[in-house]
Amino acid sequence: MTTTKRMSMVQALNSALDIMLNENDKVFLLGEDIGHMGGDFGVTRGLFKKYGAERVRDTPLSEAAIIGTAIGAAMVGMRPVPEIMFADFLGTCYDQIVNNGAKMHYMFDGQFKSPIVIRTAAGGGFGGGPHHSQSVEGWFMNVPGLVIVGPANPYDAKGLLITSIEDDNPILFLEHKALYRKKAEVPLDKYTIPLRKAAIVRQGADVTVVASMKMVDEALAAAVELEADGVSVEVVDLRTLRPWDQETVLESVARTGRAVVANEAPKMGGLGADVSATISEELFSKLKAPVLRVAGLDAPIPFSLPLEKIILPDKDDIKQAVQRTLDY
Amino acid sequence: MTIDSDLLLDLYRDMWVIRSFEFGLEREFKRGNVPGMLHTGLGQEAVQAAIARNLRHTDAFFPDHRCHGLLVLAGTPGEKIMAELFGKATGICSGKGGSLHSADPKVGNFGDNAIEGSMMATALGVGLGFQLQSRDDLAAVIVGDGTSGRGEWHESLNLAATWKLPVLYCCINNGYAISTAVGASHATENLYEFALAYKMPAVQVDGNDIVAAYQTTREAVESIRNGNGPYFVEYKTWRWQGIFSGEFRPPEEIRYWKEEHEPIKMARETILDQGIADEASLDKIKAEVDAEVENWIRFALESPPPDPAKATANVYVGWEVETQ
Repeated sequence: MTTTKRMSMVQALNSALDIMLNENDKVFLLGEDIGHMGGDFGVTRGLFKKYGAERVRDTPLSEAAIIGTAIGAAMVGMRPVPEIMFADFLGTCYDQIVNNGAKMHYMFDGQFKSPIVIRTAAGGGFGGGPHHSQSVEGWFMNVPGLVIVGPANPYDAKGLLITSIEDDNPILFLEHKALYRKKAEVPLDKYTIPLRKAAIVRQGADVTVVASMKMVDEALAAAVELEADGVSVEVVDLRTLRPWDQETVLESVARTGRAVVANEAPKMGGLGADVSATISEELFSKLKAPVLRVAGLDAPIPFSLPLEKIILPDKDDIKQAVQRTLDY
Repeated sequence: MTIDSDLLLDLYRDMWVIRSFEFGLEREFKRGNVPGMLHTGLGQEAVQAAIARNLRHTDAFFPDHRCHGLLVLAGTPGEKIMAELFGKATGICSGKGGSLHSADPKVGNFGDNAIEGSMMATALGVGLGFQLQSRDDLAAVIVGDGTSGRGEWHESLNLAATWKLPVLYCCINNGYAISTAVGASHATENLYEFALAYKMPAVQVDGNDIVAAYQTTREAVESIRNGNGPYFVEYKTWRWQGIFSGEFRPPEEIRYWKEEHEPIKMARETILDQGIADEASLDKIKAEVDAEVENWIRFALESPPPDPAKATANVYVGWEVETQ
């Protein structure tokens, strides 16, 4: 029997890094304050002491150099796991990710690979303000060659991170800050979870809510409340945001006939736009109502908590959207 | 400074490979056989030949956008580079990279990044990889003067010096970033001064003097291989090409660089003065190279376009993209 332990998502991620550092000497970490401090959120805590400064590297505030270094090292066979402290900072290394890491395998026609896993803390809800709160998947949706992963619970976080480090593609690994302290039973040993594979985390018959990261919890909470009203909600956790699992999503919506797509980032041009458009394209004749999106408003994220709450979507927004698809 | 006679003749040949390649390429570009944009290495033959001769196949180098000839000198068959620039199936990247993205890991060519200067950051990782793997290979990054305005340029120098990485910075200062003079857009015209501030050995050399350029590069490479960390070389040179095809530089400047301080002419004079070879044998080298380049061009012209399946091949490792 596999031994499990109740741990937070931070601890689950730490366990994944520990396992991979221990197992593969090609794996190394680099980022700002990830060394003896253990990272801003503690994800790398203890690893500096265990594996040393060569493999758990503190860097200057040079995000482009962090990602460039990771890509270059990957080109010569290493397995770098760079950390960008906050997802909001990805703008400073956007070019390295988009024009270098993501395109290299293609433009040199397979002669080089860029297997890097960029870990970063994303998402809002804690008063982080305009530069420490954003959900950035929309910035990267239009980048062929890039894989985006976003776990919604500690179990998935560990398994997906291990899979990501073993995968040969460049991966942007989004860790939602509001989920960092969330706890669950997690196996201590190594295990993997496939990329590009969504999970049906709650079965239902009336409406499918396709969610990611923190919105999965919001969707599950909405589903519990809606059940009291006699509404049966199915919740799909995308887990890999790009390229996302069309098969699982379309199969679910084909059954329920109604879909709500919930994503924390602004609605315009976001992940939700792509998911809902695809559902409409593929399942038009089976839909009983228009596909609705629940997303952030088209505004930056303000510092003040009551204002932030207005911008970011939550359980109640999902409940309302589900009700609208039923009322249609 | 002197170098071995045979080596000087080899370098002379190398320089002519670059010039002849670019002459042929320019001709075919004007005929409409080469798509896209063209940035030639004409006028920069000495620095490119000097760098190529000092690297080995287990090193990594990041060429810039004017390094077509250097890619051949590094060891990739000339016809594979030429065909790549023509966008053909037989190109080294199956025609998907072109002039700005021709890589060949077999000879250490890690490819240009047409966001010029971005490979300053990538080179750090190659250097770090070599360091972690205890190899005595180095990462050479070839960049133009214009890239010194980029943040990554400075991030790279700082981190390479901090981590003592085996990185050779080859800064080819040809005086202009497209139309803007170095001195008009930077705090100094002498870019090695920036590198000195990052606490690494940094020198400036006449990039049109093949002997000086070769020797300086050699010293830098030896220092890096001996474990002393990064080294910065600024090669002062000049490109023949104006703004794409137009010209904006003063006539006297053009005359100086194209007639007086012209790298192949200077090398030829040195060889003749020292009695290493006579006019006839130098002309023979040129003729042989020219014939070879014409073969590469013929190969490129006659090669088929890439298989349509290549359009979506190798986007991801391990799975295909949808094509509908």
